[in-house]
Amino acid sequence: MSWAVTGMGAVAGLGGDVDELFRNLCAGRSGVAELRGFDHALHTARHAYEVDNRPAPGVDVTRRATGLLLDAVGQAVRDAGLDDSDLSGVPVLVGTGLRELRSVELWRTRGADFPAAELHFGTALREAFQADDTHTLSNACSAGLYALALGVDLLAQGADTVVVAGVDVLTETMYGLLERVQPVPPTRVRPFDRGRDGVLMGEGAAAVVLSRVPGGRPVHGLVRDVAVNCDAFHVTAPDPAGIAEAIREAHTRGGVKPADIDLLMVHGTGTLLNDEAEATALADVFGPDRDKPLVTATKSMTGHTSGASGLLNLVVTLRCLAEGRVPPTVGLDDPVDEAAGFRFVTGEAAHRPLTVAQLNAFGFGGINAVAILEAAR
Amino acid sequence: MTVVVSGVGVVLPRARSAPELMAPAAGAPPVEPKDLVGRKGLRYKDRATQLAYCAADAALRDAGLLDDGGLRVPGGSVAMVASSNYGNLDTICRAIDTIAEHTAAAGSAMDLPNASSNVIASSVAIRFGLRGPNLMLCNGATSGLDAVHWAATLIRGGRASRALVLGVEPDNESVRAFTGGSRTIDGAAALVLESEESAAERGATASAVLGDYVRGAGLGRTLERLAETTGDRPALWQLPEQRAAAAPDTLLEGVDRHDLGEVFGLGSGALGVLQCAAAVGWFAQGGAGPVYATAGTDADDASAGIALRGRAAA
Repeated sequence: MSWAVTGMGAVAGLGGDVDELFRNLCAGRSGVAELRGFDHALHTARHAYEVDNRPAPGVDVTRRATGLLLDAVGQAVRDAGLDDSDLSGVPVLVGTGLRELRSVELWRTRGADFPAAELHFGTALREAFQADDTHTLSNACSAGLYALALGVDLLAQGADTVVVAGVDVLTETMYGLLERVQPVPPTRVRPFDRGRDGVLMGEGAAAVVLSRVPGGRPVHGLVRDVAVNCDAFHVTAPDPAGIAEAIREAHTRGGVKPADIDLLMVHGTGTLLNDEAEATALADVFGPDRDKPLVTATKSMTGHTSGASGLLNLVVTLRCLAEGRVPPTVGLDDPVDEAAGFRFVTGEAAHRPLTVAQLNAFGFGGINAVAILEAAR
Repeated sequence: MTVVVSGVGVVLPRARSAPELMAPAAGAPPVEPKDLVGRKGLRYKDRATQLAYCAADAALRDAGLLDDGGLRVPGGSVAMVASSNYGNLDTICRAIDTIAEHTAAAGSAMDLPNASSNVIASSVAIRFGLRGPNLMLCNGATSGLDAVHWAATLIRGGRASRALVLGVEPDNESVRAFTGGSRTIDGAAALVLESEESAAERGATASAVLGDYVRGAGLGRTLERLAETTGDRPALWQLPEQRAAAAPDTLLEGVDRHDLGEVFGLGSGALGVLQCAAAVGWFAQGGAGPVYATAGTDADDASAGIALRGRAAA
């Protein structure tokens, strides 16, 4: 069984919609810039991949995550031909790492007005779209793909239409605490490169509409299935064994073998731990077939958009499958040993007919999600 | 597929068992996690995670899934679904205060995992070796019932044979300030949900049967939809938290009402799990007929409801 994606929406530093985002990624443009939202005097790190929509440089405001989410959901819903003034009864699943915790920080430090009812996204989704079956899933950096797994389960259990979204903006606590574990602040994200310094946060939102019956609507691509599990190993460090298990389960659920995968959209955060663990797990599962798929990591251009990253990668991957075009992994010059033998797209975008893709997302706490996607033909 | 409740854990100042949720104890010393689960592994964990450890331990033992030798079923067969709205608010407030006063260099790396709101769900999974799907719901007033719904969805979808569902809200200065002075329950409750088949296979006793879940705008409409799916009036109605809008007398007239929030404090993301645990307690004390658990009033973004039945009535 596979499920049709009939609507897509996205917003990130590199673009305000799916077209612009995909164009910029394929051109190898990076969204990295000097930190905009926080007081530089309080931080040694200086860079991030933010959405440049604050009222003035250095002036941060509440509800930015909510704003990005509503933008992406609105795009996806209209793209699918649904009535964006009435989503009542349609499940809307939102994956997020950090919810509206940036607004909590602004309430705490600057006395900004921010009611508890807006900490989750249901309140704003109800106001904007009359959505009343909304679920804020706070599942760290795999939240978007975890939400996709739940959406697929709802369809399999009888739902007709499900909206799945992912969103995150920088929180100053996460940004600041990352400085404590990355002694040399990175100036950019370089997934799988020997010279990588670590991760930088990014901002964005993406949404898709999944339909049991497309009903004549254009189909952007198909979600075959999504595997989810938990390493039960460590609160921040990933476990290659748990990741490999999630990949194998995704292949089983999706009815594919490693040799069937044409494109691997990896999690690739540019941290020392993730990239080694992810490459080790991929090498374990793909074995001699590791040279078959093209591989790329968009966080090299979007930064780590946390709960949004899985769904941003989903819309990007469906575009890759539809157009036979794969964005490069920018900044990957000298791959780590664990990634040897994989065909990373570097330099410029690759062109090749593609049918099946695998998409990885992993989060703090060892929560893994792996999706199998297929081109619509 | 029928989903049953096969274990319950309750860790609140005035209730340490499901029946005590219906008939609370008088004294109310705060829950002291080290007295319940030992000191090991509590360091650097926020209050919510510590409370979650206690409720998880109690529920897994009650279900016969855990003994002193560890988990008695394969870790991959157990999903984890936690619900909390304010779980890591104290970490966020403390960490942002430190950054604002002393710069990010003064922050503690030990706070890093706690800055991610899913720390409760993943920490419980790590402590008990639960390797199935792992979800953290932070979904406002209905969050606890939504968590129960997702646990049942994971079981029905074949992603896990059983799921630990946990609701927790800590009480601290940050939460009180953020919620306008409310005292939360400062405790946790957990349920083990299981397919009837899996429970029977391992000889576990089911204490309640989970009915349909409904969610949508309006408490009145939610009750109507519950009545449509169950085809029955409830014998007991677990009320939503009524801070902003009380449940009108005209709703479910004549049905016994039970307000957990009035007794135990703000349940918030834990409320729905507490309600289901209380229903189990009510069945255990001889209560008969369906129980409606409901969360979210017309002042919230939505209401949710779940009907539960006692095992004998199933």
